[in-house]
Amino acid sequence: MGRKILLVEDDRETASYLAKGLSQEGHSVEQATNGQDGLFRATDGSFDLIILDRMLPVLDGLSVLKALRAARIETPVLILSALASVGDRIEGLEQGSDDYLVKPFSFAELLARVNALLRRREARVNPADHRLTVGDLEIDPLSRSVRRAGRKLDLKPREYLLLEYFARNEGRVVTRTMLLEQVWDYHFDPGTNVIDVHVSRLRRKLDEGFEKPLLHTVRGAGYMLAA
Amino acid sequence: MSTTLRIALLAGLLALVSNLAVIGFIYYRTHDEAVATVHQQVIEQGKVLADVYRSGGKPALDDAIRDTMTYADPQTAVAVLGRDGRQIEGNLDAVPPSLAKFREGYRNALIRLRGQTTPREAALVMHELPDGNWLLSGRIAGEGLAIRDALEGSLLIALIVAGLLGLLGGLILANYVGQRIGEIARVADRISARDLSQRVPVSSADDAFDQLGRQINAMLDRISTLMEELRLLTDSLAHDLRSPVSRLRSAAHAAAQATDVSEQEELLGSVIRQADSLMRILTTVLEISRSEALTGRKQFAWFDVGDLAAELAEMYDPLVEEGSATLVYDRPAWPVPLFGHRQLLAQAISNLIENAIRYGASGGEIRIRVEPSERNIRIEVADRGPGIPPERREEARRRFGRLDTSRSDEGAGLGLALAESIAHLHGGQLLLADNKPGLLTVLVLPVHADLAGEVQEPGHKPAAAA
Repeated sequence: MGRKILLVEDDRETASYLAKGLSQEGHSVEQATNGQDGLFRATDGSFDLIILDRMLPVLDGLSVLKALRAARIETPVLILSALASVGDRIEGLEQGSDDYLVKPFSFAELLARVNALLRRREARVNPADHRLTVGDLEIDPLSRSVRRAGRKLDLKPREYLLLEYFARNEGRVVTRTMLLEQVWDYHFDPGTNVIDVHVSRLRRKLDEGFEKPLLHTVRGAGYMLAA
Repeated sequence: MSTTLRIALLAGLLALVSNLAVIGFIYYRTHDEAVATVHQQVIEQGKVLADVYRSGGKPALDDAIRDTMTYADPQTAVAVLGRDGRQIEGNLDAVPPSLAKFREGYRNALIRLRGQTTPREAALVMHELPDGNWLLSGRIAGEGLAIRDALEGSLLIALIVAGLLGLLGGLILANYVGQRIGEIARVADRISARDLSQRVPVSSADDAFDQLGRQINAMLDRISTLMEELRLLTDSLAHDLRSPVSRLRSAAHAAAQATDVSEQEELLGSVIRQADSLMRILTTVLEISRSEALTGRKQFAWFDVGDLAAELAEMYDPLVEEGSATLVYDRPAWPVPLFGHRQLLAQAISNLIENAIRYGASGGEIRIRVEPSERNIRIEVADRGPGIPPERREEARRRFGRLDTSRSDEGAGLGLALAESIAHLHGGQLLLADNKPGLLTVLVLPVHADLAGEVQEPGHKPAAAA
């Protein structure tokens, strides 16, 4: 299921590497190498996602983003930046970007975020039934109740949020940083495996006693919930 | 016009104005209308007699003098004096020698009239008559006439002297100010020429210049400290990045050499991990400098510290349990509002918790407390591990100041340094103390920090409260 992605990145090497990777995933990628050109191409609103470098010649990424949002173009924007401090990330998000990824990043991390953003767009366009189901797992976001094969699972609030986020990204890789940012709303990089511990707790409650595991570890990338 | 001259003129002008005010006041209080009238009358009378002589000659004058002596009031003096100073006619009892020095016009003198016992002050006018004698006329004017006249003269002189002195004082003042400012300017010049060790001389007088000098010196001290810190940081960065970079290099090398695909994959994974940890170090160092430079305050907002700590306690609870310790959070009964950077404080607190997990989990219990008081909010993380002896605590909070010298790849020794810099961003401090046993780390954050102004000197820390 290919999507239209606009990549605004002035570094040729990064741009071609990303374009190649995203094309291999089946997306069609259009490229711009400066902010002005990027803004010009983005204004027709035909893209499903814009990947925007923060530091660009002619017009910087945040200005492009501001101009887009001022023009009421709500295409999801993923900002790429070498500015890694917590303040920079918050600033990027406050300007109206949907996600913020710090350079250098792994392609797996980028892809996971791209997929999550595209998925969110899809969900926005086709509001589905409020119930989330993954295999024999059934989640009701209204009552926050979770059942697997009809059996009620007793989850702590944070575990529930974690599971719901996984379920909304069913079949897609979710990285540790994405979990920290989306489930906990923290934008720093913890030096410990604190996220892994939470995931493994959730996995014990979710998969213990069932033959088929739902929560998978994706080596070198993160986790995935899939039937 | 030079500043010095301008200050001098201004000071001179001010002196002149104030002196003028004082002199004017004295003149006003001493100047007597009656005295002015006497002057006027005496001059008129002299003129009349001189006119009489001009129109009627000597006989007419003699008549007029006689009339005056007879009918005018007894305070009137009138006489014709010979060139030798003798009185030819008139009502003077004696001619004082001072009057014999003939001079046209008005004067004051002590004279005794016929029938009076003591000489008294008189205002007199003298005219030389065409026959070579001198006509004298005037009035006894009462006491103090001369004094008053002298005073008025003195006041005029005083005014001139005051103006000159004011100008001189202004010049001296301007010179002094110029000299004091010059000292500061010279120091600034030498500092611009890269000698940061220069300081403005400060005298014991504690005047405004000394205060200015002290403030400039304090500023210079701070700059030196920051520069020294920066130098240390670059040095230690260069030094401390050597080992992760060389580990990265050898992992990459090994991966390139590996023949087995799965082995190669394994080694490449380690290359990526090493690169990530390097990036983490650089990001943290950047974060520390950002916080120390106090950027990020524009992202400050109100939030509940008790809530944040609860969230972090919940987040780290499973990790602590993995290490078979327990995490206890004493949540305050009320919300603890703070105006600050929620994300960065979350990071600071999580650094303290991770520090406790890494070095103190062996003690069994990690305790988090949030304690609001009137002026400060204390966020405490305490463990029961080995703790840090007092003499090594300074070292522990330094960047790359890891006490454990065996450099494993866990933690680069930046955690406490970052927590401290975030405390500084909030105008607060990080305290390290003895938990008896264990380490107690405390973020002390002022509630009403004047966030627009200076924060406390990072070098200045009160004794850690146990």
